[in-house]
Amino acid sequence: MSSPGRTRRPAGVSRDPGQTGRSGLPPALDRRFEAVVLWSAKPSLAAGTAHDLLALHGAGSTVAWLAPASTDRLAERLTATTPDAPALLLADSGGGSAVSVDRSGTCRLELLPAESRPAALDRAARVFARRLAGLGISTFLPPRAAGSLSTSIELVRDPTGPATRPRRTRFLLQHGVAGVSQLVELAVDAARQAGIDDPRVTAEDDHVVIALRDAGDVAVGVLHELWRRGVDPQEVLTVVDGSPGLPRWSAPVVVPDIRETTVVLVNGGRRPPGAAVMALSGGTARMHQLLADQLRRRRRRSLPAVPTRAGWSLGVEGFDLESERVHEALLTLADGHVGMSGAPLAERAGRHPWVVARGVYTGDGSASHLLTGPVAFALGRMPDGAPLQRVLDLRTAVLHEVAGAGGDLVESVRFVSLARPTTAVLRARTLSPGRPGPPLLPATDDPTHDAGRAGDATWIRVAGSAGGITAAAVQTRSRRSHPMEGADAGTWVLDRVAVYDSDPDALPDPAPAAAARAATVGVDRLLADHRRAWARRWEDADVAIEGDDELQLGVRFALFHLMASVADGGEAPVGARGLTGMGYGGHVFWDADTFVLPFLAATHPAAARSMLEYRLRRLPAALDAARSFGRAGARFPWESARTGRDVTPRSARDRSGRIVPIRTGQLEEHIVAQVPWAACCYVDWTGDEEFARGPCRRILVETARYWASRIRVDADGSAHIYGVVGPDEYHEPVDDNAFTNVMARWNLRRAAEAVEAADGNDDVGERQHWVELADALFDGYDADTGIYEQFAGFGRLEPLIIAELAPRRPIAADLLLGVERTRGAQVIKQADALMIHHLLPDEAASGSLEPNLRYYEPRTAHGSSLSPAIHASLQARARDFDRSLEALRIAARMDLDDLTGSSAQGLHLATMGGTWQALAFGFMGLRPAGGMLCVDPVLPPSWSALEMRVRFRGSSVLLRKERARLSLSTDRPVSVVVGGTPYVTGRRDLVFRRRGASWEPMP
Amino acid sequence: MKTIIAAIDNSAAARPVLVMTQAVATALAATPQAVHVIEDGAQTARASAEAAGAALRTLSGDPVEQLARVVAEEDVVALVLGARGRVGGPRPAGHLALALAGRTDKPVVVVPPDARPPKLLRRVLVAMEGSPGKARTLRRTIQLSTDAGLEIVVVHVDEEIPSFTDQIQHETTAYAREFLARHVLDAPRARLELRIGIPAAEVLTAVEEFHPDLVAVGWPQPDDPSRGAVAREILDRSPVPVLLLAVA
Repeated sequence: MSSPGRTRRPAGVSRDPGQTGRSGLPPALDRRFEAVVLWSAKPSLAAGTAHDLLALHGAGSTVAWLAPASTDRLAERLTATTPDAPALLLADSGGGSAVSVDRSGTCRLELLPAESRPAALDRAARVFARRLAGLGISTFLPPRAAGSLSTSIELVRDPTGPATRPRRTRFLLQHGVAGVSQLVELAVDAARQAGIDDPRVTAEDDHVVIALRDAGDVAVGVLHELWRRGVDPQEVLTVVDGSPGLPRWSAPVVVPDIRETTVVLVNGGRRPPGAAVMALSGGTARMHQLLADQLRRRRRRSLPAVPTRAGWSLGVEGFDLESERVHEALLTLADGHVGMSGAPLAERAGRHPWVVARGVYTGDGSASHLLTGPVAFALGRMPDGAPLQRVLDLRTAVLHEVAGAGGDLVESVRFVSLARPTTAVLRARTLSPGRPGPPLLPATDDPTHDAGRAGDATWIRVAGSAGGITAAAVQTRSRRSHPMEGADAGTWVLDRVAVYDSDPDALPDPAPAAAARAATVGVDRLLADHRRAWARRWEDADVAIEGDDELQLGVRFALFHLMASVADGGEAPVGARGLTGMGYGGHVFWDADTFVLPFLAATHPAAARSMLEYRLRRLPAALDAARSFGRAGARFPWESARTGRDVTPRSARDRSGRIVPIRTGQLEEHIVAQVPWAACCYVDWTGDEEFARGPCRRILVETARYWASRIRVDADGSAHIYGVVGPDEYHEPVDDNAFTNVMARWNLRRAAEAVEAADGNDDVGERQHWVELADALFDGYDADTGIYEQFAGFGRLEPLIIAELAPRRPIAADLLLGVERTRGAQVIKQADALMIHHLLPDEAASGSLEPNLRYYEPRTAHGSSLSPAIHASLQARARDFDRSLEALRIAARMDLDDLTGSSAQGLHLATMGGTWQALAFGFMGLRPAGGMLCVDPVLPPSWSALEMRVRFRGSSVLLRKERARLSLSTDRPVSVVVGGTPYVTGRRDLVFRRRGASWEPMP
Repeated sequence: MKTIIAAIDNSAAARPVLVMTQAVATALAATPQAVHVIEDGAQTARASAEAAGAALRTLSGDPVEQLARVVAEEDVVALVLGARGRVGGPRPAGHLALALAGRTDKPVVVVPPDARPPKLLRRVLVAMEGSPGKARTLRRTIQLSTDAGLEIVVVHVDEEIPSFTDQIQHETTAYAREFLARHVLDAPRARLELRIGIPAAEVLTAVEEFHPDLVAVGWPQPDDPSRGAVAREILDRSPVPVLLLAVA
């Protein structure tokens, strides 16, 4: 497995672009680009070029035009005519305004951040003028137009004689200025003195412009906008129409972001191009050739390039039977509704393609498991040992595959559309007609219920015990023969579009028409929409770690699968392995509520809401369960599937072959409080008052009622919960598990608050009872030691320190020591009492984190995959960075390195959620409280920066922590608390610097 | 034509070797052939072969070299021979069996002198320590056993304690499914028994529990005295015939 590095860009060529490809263009251009940016010096556009751009745009390419004119004027010259095409971007390179134009109309874009420094320009001009005056040069400062982001300084020369260039140069030299470059240096220095750190300065011999922005900034803004639409700069062709008069003609050379694109200069005159810029002669004809070549590639259905951006792609080379199934899970594609393995397209021994759909199970009770559906991603057969390369682009959720060699070569891209959920899309290019096989294959693990054809579509249905999965697919094949296709010539192209439908409770009808409709949209348009949808998700969720590339990839990999596994509509039952495999039967545990949901509440609340909807719709089952145990209220199950009834098996074989009783279903009751905790987590991040007053309140009330009936009050008035299992499943049953009790206490109090805040018609007696019970509930805290006793009697167990005894950690201590020995020892499986500090820091005694960490961590085997991430988070809060990073790396590599030996059965979604929590709660110190977002970041020495994006109460929030600096940027006002002091964000970034232990706002 | 060689000596151990050879030959649809390298007479060997209805081929010379030459013949698909030793006593497999197992990549079945092989094989226990190399090699046995319609019990013994056991009720199943899918690809109905502990001891305990007709284990090739300790111990102590398979 590898993470491909950045592609080495072809070196810039000067006048000679080198050997031309079959398209008649340099080899670097012999490929398809996902977007074309035309950067014009003038606002005019040749009719032929406009025609070419619109044709390219109509064929599915993203097109941007950048020129020095208002967007209205640009729109008059270039108007989108194709209704289904992606948006056309128009940007004023002089002023910075920009619009996107599509079928829904014109939308203004904020390419550049709001600028609040124009007044500094006047100061800069005055400083510069004083400097020149000191050299004996008089200046004239024309008044700056209101709102203008630039200021001019005219140098007043001797008025006699013509203003020839030699004369102007001589004039400067006479005053001790060694040419224009020194003039620029003086202006830059003056601007910095005036408070403009990064001025844009252009100068002639007698004229200097100091600006806050220039065309290069606008061009970068266009690229950022394309990035937000899922187009990587490496996939952009920037065509600079460099006719004389282009402002800052060298901008493509000096702007690093632009250099990541493929830059072509046409009409460049005699000025030499900079490095990494290809200058092409031929003027308008050459422009036409460039654009026509891209259009031809679109029409011939060429493939997008394989992604190469470091930190954003996961590559798998070859086909190794031992690790293949793990790779197939790692490369899973999903849209929250359906998940599909990353198995190679072609049949070969050991390959295992599968499809699962959210919440569609088969079998009953503890034997229920996810049903598998028809397979759309299968294509012919490949001999064993044939070369294979797969690359998953995490940013756009597109899986690229190159298989076979010579005449058997098959290149493909595939995705499961996030923009059009349940739609699976495949494009494959082959050198020979081959035998692609039918567009759908039967499910690999479940029998076909029925199948058929309707029009061009093929459909298959698979039935579960209650519901089912159906898929319909359409495929087309065509052969290219145009010699100008270069590497694409003489190949066959297959486009396949499959649409799935699933229902947990009923067998869905075949829907061949849906597949036909999706197919008419076309692969390119589906791809553009899909990429944009993924880019939007990343816009609110990305985490950037500067200083640890391996961890960066692991984190992005985790976020990718968290986003892919949860739908944002209807109900979302998120099994322990999400949609990445069939392990754990797809059963839902506290993993979902406690580990996965917070990430979604903070980045994509609609998905978190869908997860809660799953619990809400199973509230009746939880009420029934409580009754069956002789309790009141609602008892949510430890394991659930379709019905919401507990489906935890009662016994199982462990890895040593012994049959062991499984008591979690009966005793691991903290799950009852995890569901309301998740509901409140969603409310705290989103401020969704309607949900808070309705469903959330109901969950709080019914779970509080459960605890009220479950808690026993002893004669001395103290309240206890006897006979439970905490997160540490090595000890069962136990009394007064501190974590369970504190969760129950929180549940009772929060329910009382919710009821009191509602309408006053509540049962005051019941509410009062909850408060009294909560106050009386024993939590095992010892104020003398600052330690929570994990459960009653834990301190009297055999004092084994697993950190010293075990050959390594993590380790399954119950297998190392045996079940009975472990049960009698102070050896714990995962964070238990420490979960109080992680989930409910306000409920934990002040200052108790460090003593509990010191006490429990050495006693923790970390034998649960949930444990490392939680410890990483808490150790970050405790500033123990070495241990924190060690634990975080384990969490981030859990599946990438198959540390459990079972990643092939699906990826550990809760560990992935925990990884995000370690970064968000642990390192960035994020926590919503009282309608405000609390921020208290820490940074390990090995990182130079941590950047996170979240959504808080409807606003997009970008946080960046550097060594001694913190900045917060929001798109609307947000109440935040930094260093204990409340602030409200505005149009400008909030920037703080570290002063000792506190944060001081910077002006 | 496929031939199974029964290498018999001139002792009472010849009989179980011949019975086992017949059972293996039936399972693999092969023809049994008895071979005896004359060292100290051939009467018992001849009588045993005759009683078993097998043709006897006698050779002379160095037993290892002679038998190695026979095993190398194209039609020979497996070799069955006895573990030299006294009935009821400790019975190290002997230099002959080990030397041959170390020189051929064809299956070598070592039959204890007190074994009571069945006439028809029904159940094979495949011992796997889980290392990829062994898994790949044993896949051949599993494939042969599957083709022969034999019941397969795979015993996977892990000497290392796993790092994680999340939810036992699913974790073991998930691990087992994966193990089967990766290593026992061609026998989807094979039974997998997971064990943690000392490999030879766990395998021998499983032999007592499942009563297989044959135990298959990997054997290092080329012969390396520093490797194969697990297989040696199983050879020493197994009450049922042991199938040795070359492991690179």
